[in-house]
Amino acid sequence: MTPDQPPLSTAELRRHQPVFRGLEAGHRACQGCGQALAARLVTEAIGPDAMIANATGCLEVFTTAWPQSAWRLPWIHSVFANVAAVASGMEAALKAQKRRTKVVAFGGDGGTFDIGLQALSGMLERNHNVLYVCFDNEAYMNTGVQRSSSTPHAAATTTSPAGREREGKRHLKKDLVTIIAAHRIPYSATATVAYPTDLRKKVRRGMQIEGAAFIVVHSPCPLGWGHENALGIEVARLAVQTGLWPMIELERGELVGAMELRNIRPVTDYLRLQDRFKHLFADDPRAREELEHLQELANHNIEVYRLRAEAPDRFDSEGMDTVIRGGLRTA
Amino acid sequence: MAQPLEGSQAMARAVALCRPQVVAAYPITPQTHIVENLAKLIADGALACELVSVESEFSAASVALGAAVAGSRAYTATSSQGLLLMTEVLFNIAGLRVPLVLTCANRAVGAPVSVWNDHQDSMAVRDAGWVQLYCADNQEAVDTTIHAFRIAERCELPVMVCVDGFTLTHTLEPLELPTQEQVDAFLGPYAFSRALDPANPLSMGTLLSPEFFPEIRHAHHRALLNAQDEIIATDRAWQNISGRSTGGLLSVEGPQEARLAILTIGSILGTLAEAQAESHDRTPAKLIKLRAFRPFPVDALKQECAGLDDLIVLERAVSPGGGGIIAAEVRAALSELSRPPRVHSYAIGLGGRDVPMTVYPQLLAAAQAATPSRFAVFDLQPAKLAETDR
Amino acid sequence: MTILTRGAVAKPGTSLDFKTGDWRLERPVHAHRSAPCHTGCPAGEDPQGYLARLAEGDPKAAWETLVEANPLPAITGRVCHHPCEAACNRGQYDEPLAIHGVERTLGDQAIAGGWHYPLRAPASGAARVAVVGAGPAGLSAAYQLIRLGYLVTLFEGESEAGGLLASAIPSYRLPRAVLRGELERLLSIGMTFMPRNRLGRDFMLDELRPDHRAIFLGVGNQRGRDWSVDGVVPRDSRPGLDILKEWLSIGSLPAYKSVAIIGGGNTAVDLARVLRFSGIPEVHIISYRAVPGPGVPVEDAMRATAREVHQALDEGVIIHEHRGVRRLIIRGERVAGVEMVHTKKLTRAAGRRETVEFEGTETIMHVEQVIPAVGQEVDPTGLEMLLRGHPFLHPDQWGRLENFDGIFAGGDVREGAATVSEAIGDGRRAAIAIDRYLRGAAMPALESNEVRFADLNANYFEHQPRAAIGMLAVAERNAEREIEQPLSLGQIETESRRCFSCGECMACDNCWTLCPDNAVLKTREIAAGGDHYVFDYDYCKGCGLCAHECPVGYIAMQPER
Repeated sequence: MTPDQPPLSTAELRRHQPVFRGLEAGHRACQGCGQALAARLVTEAIGPDAMIANATGCLEVFTTAWPQSAWRLPWIHSVFANVAAVASGMEAALKAQKRRTKVVAFGGDGGTFDIGLQALSGMLERNHNVLYVCFDNEAYMNTGVQRSSSTPHAAATTTSPAGREREGKRHLKKDLVTIIAAHRIPYSATATVAYPTDLRKKVRRGMQIEGAAFIVVHSPCPLGWGHENALGIEVARLAVQTGLWPMIELERGELVGAMELRNIRPVTDYLRLQDRFKHLFADDPRAREELEHLQELANHNIEVYRLRAEAPDRFDSEGMDTVIRGGLRTA
Repeated sequence: MAQPLEGSQAMARAVALCRPQVVAAYPITPQTHIVENLAKLIADGALACELVSVESEFSAASVALGAAVAGSRAYTATSSQGLLLMTEVLFNIAGLRVPLVLTCANRAVGAPVSVWNDHQDSMAVRDAGWVQLYCADNQEAVDTTIHAFRIAERCELPVMVCVDGFTLTHTLEPLELPTQEQVDAFLGPYAFSRALDPANPLSMGTLLSPEFFPEIRHAHHRALLNAQDEIIATDRAWQNISGRSTGGLLSVEGPQEARLAILTIGSILGTLAEAQAESHDRTPAKLIKLRAFRPFPVDALKQECAGLDDLIVLERAVSPGGGGIIAAEVRAALSELSRPPRVHSYAIGLGGRDVPMTVYPQLLAAAQAATPSRFAVFDLQPAKLAETDR
Repeated sequence: MTILTRGAVAKPGTSLDFKTGDWRLERPVHAHRSAPCHTGCPAGEDPQGYLARLAEGDPKAAWETLVEANPLPAITGRVCHHPCEAACNRGQYDEPLAIHGVERTLGDQAIAGGWHYPLRAPASGAARVAVVGAGPAGLSAAYQLIRLGYLVTLFEGESEAGGLLASAIPSYRLPRAVLRGELERLLSIGMTFMPRNRLGRDFMLDELRPDHRAIFLGVGNQRGRDWSVDGVVPRDSRPGLDILKEWLSIGSLPAYKSVAIIGGGNTAVDLARVLRFSGIPEVHIISYRAVPGPGVPVEDAMRATAREVHQALDEGVIIHEHRGVRRLIIRGERVAGVEMVHTKKLTRAAGRRETVEFEGTETIMHVEQVIPAVGQEVDPTGLEMLLRGHPFLHPDQWGRLENFDGIFAGGDVREGAATVSEAIGDGRRAAIAIDRYLRGAAMPALESNEVRFADLNANYFEHQPRAAIGMLAVAERNAEREIEQPLSLGQIETESRRCFSCGECMACDNCWTLCPDNAVLKTREIAAGGDHYVFDYDYCKGCGLCAHECPVGYIAMQPER
């Protein structure tokens, strides 16, 4: 575009953006929705030659209120528990048709950790050439913030509220990554909206895999987690920096990469920003014990996934969030 | 050239002739032989197809759905518990108006556990929005399977082909199989108008507000009703090719002047026909074979039943607390007649109990009752029940 | 009437019909704010601006941005006390930007490359302004006036331009070749330069009137302050500045074995170092104030540039801080020593700060000479009407003199100026004021919206050490060789990438990447600045993620009306 041309309208400008827009504006996600951001970033990295199967949840609801759809990729939502099976069928069809279009499955934590786990396991066991992306906002958000097996320990939800007798969710967050790893699929990874370059890199890796790939993306929910809209990235970043959300990559079940942490933050820095943990800051020995527990869970992750950076290196988080003047040219 | 084939095997060969690109397979008695046969055909290179051995029937239906929307002809088979497990997906497939064919090898539904034939399974999902066609014998099963792909793809409605488990699936008999050329000419390649395609990226499975929902249900209902024409036309077209008719929506055998008819569904018909032929009771009675249960052929039924005094509806399912399922729909349809026949509702052979030929004269006698049976289990043996349960 | 599709399929991108912008309670806006390096620069340079050009790989564009405010970067890049670095927000993250070193290297590149100021010569019929004094204030004023399109006559009492730059700053701080390079370029932009024309001696102010529509006075403070100790002045005592100037012009220095310099400014320190380089074994500085350093408040620190003080200490100059001279010890007619006393600047009644001597703390130091370097005053010759007996002029921040229409002043001629960069800033602002005065236009508003460290998002920057400026080892130092070593072009380009770009978009793409609603649009493939992102208010829900994650504090959230 030369400086002499008249400026484009925003509508025209929107059509000229230098990335593929798989998820368009006008969707009805809440302000600051981490999942919307994640889905947008993921579809950008996926590119136009793909088709999506999407489980029931926030994402499908806020993107496809008929007659409107925010998707610019072919897309199907079937039911809550079957996205991995639908994706398997799509993949089998494309394979039979000898087409290279990639099948991608999207599911929330409810549709992946819980109700959809069987279908997911089957898809992984059969090693369908599907990239499964789980958007993890750590509860059944679409139905009003009920606890899922992905909800972190001690978090408050409507079905695991904090009260006189309970400090939020009793059970630990299900270790889905280990379950996925046990399937020995070619590639699986954790990612987060706070590191979009890393997320895009992992999605592209998943797209290249011939076989099953799985990525779970930490997606903050301002409404459900109880934090300010504008702090979504900050919260997600702290989840990583505390060790509560380890950023790892696995191939065939073996750990092959982890984002190292050079500046490890205490879990309280992360927890205090969210109302779903505010009961842990009460002056109560049980609350204090829960804080300790959460800190130990973080410490455990750091140990098990070897997250503590050993060598001195000026790049924290492997420079995955370093900005450069002039913007991203390679990501 | 007829060849001796087990029912399941013949159906598998029929499916294979239709060239599905994706078959989802999950074992459940008595359907399992169908998918096993298909697997062997694929393994031997006789069928170029992706066989997806899923981890449950719920996933089987989902895989078939995924394949169908991704532009491939797809197929799966199940029974009983499996059909119910996939119920959510069945509704979903129909509501999405996706063409699919599913064979239901009819089997009773637990509890208590039963592996034997009745129609409780397919009847339980009659409201899912599928076309449901019942086969009286294995030849019909072969032909109906082939019809089903054409009906499904032309109407953009999923079709359930119901065949009696064990009775049909596990019976060996001489059957005619068409040639590949015949089936290719009859079906043509799969072409789904709304197939997912990056060149035309549609969104399927959207959220529909109350503003539009009644209309779409109406459209679906109308589509099923309109499918009656397609069912008939398909039967005729196949008859031109194969020489065989399945009767379309329903067919009637027996003396034109008979004022008594027995309406039934599935393989019982064969038993009744044989029984009628051998019976000493020469009371004129028509045998009405209902082939399409969904759409329910109200007009065709009214036409056949217009002059009747008594109609016995004999079915292999029950809606507990309600009574006969087919009977209720028959009564509703025939109530539109100015002089509807008396409808006698019976269930028989539940849970696979054998239906002997002696049932025929018993039915004729039962039709004489002063008050037609609201609903009864015809072959009930009350002595097997405690007093309070009778 | 919307018609249902079969199976309720939806077409792609139709969500654009739903304008979620209606949901907003507040909206993001681009808000250019000043970087603290800019508000902290007395000359008014925009280091953020030229560091950005440098980071983009264009040192010439960087220099051109720099010289919009300051035409003498090779000089200030050597002699300025760089308050920009103290203000730099990066100082709260790891180390401040080496702006000083960058400025010097850019200035040197310009001299080596023969770069020209990006300006046009004024039209021949333009109004003419007189600038009296070709020191930094006058040179700056003349330069800016020409940039604004005026003709300028630059009067200078000496035979050369430069003022104290030429006469009082030694080569180890400011090499003559550099001074010459800068001055030659500046003097060749079309002004009429009249050396050897001293105000009061060769012309008077009112003689300038008919030909010049306005006058800028940058005459400096040419007269040493009267100095005595208890009324006593040693017979052969000369002001330190005179000694320094004489050494710079003809190279001679008094040869004492020990000397005490009274004062804490650049003159005192330069003189002390020059004397040390000449071989004098004992060179003392006696100052009321303290050696500058961490923990020393600015108002208590010696006025000389901090690094110069520390270099002096390295070179063996002995500094007596918080000391005053109570008494001179005279033997015959010669100085034999000084009696020093402890002093402190205390806050008295009504907030006045006063230097207090503490009785009982007196010590005697034997020195052969005492040299006062206690500051200068304005030479009133030719300025009597304006000064009215005061030692300095008092212009406002725009250089305007109350009651004297059309006369402006800046630099050392005003009280409290004291540094080269302040003089340059005075000259620049006065030129703006002159321009407005001549056009009858209002003065520009002064921007005051500064970006603090808390306004940035430092998560997006990696720690990187500052470019290290080398210095000659003490053993190798003398009065001629430049002590501070330059940074290379590669080093300054690397250093420029450490700049946080406070308050100015660096086109990092964060806002565009992190909007959940696709409501930030790029206007070109590779964004080059803040105007290359557009907020699409049809869809922006006002979540504020862009504002919070903007590394440079360029996006503000404003309530939606």
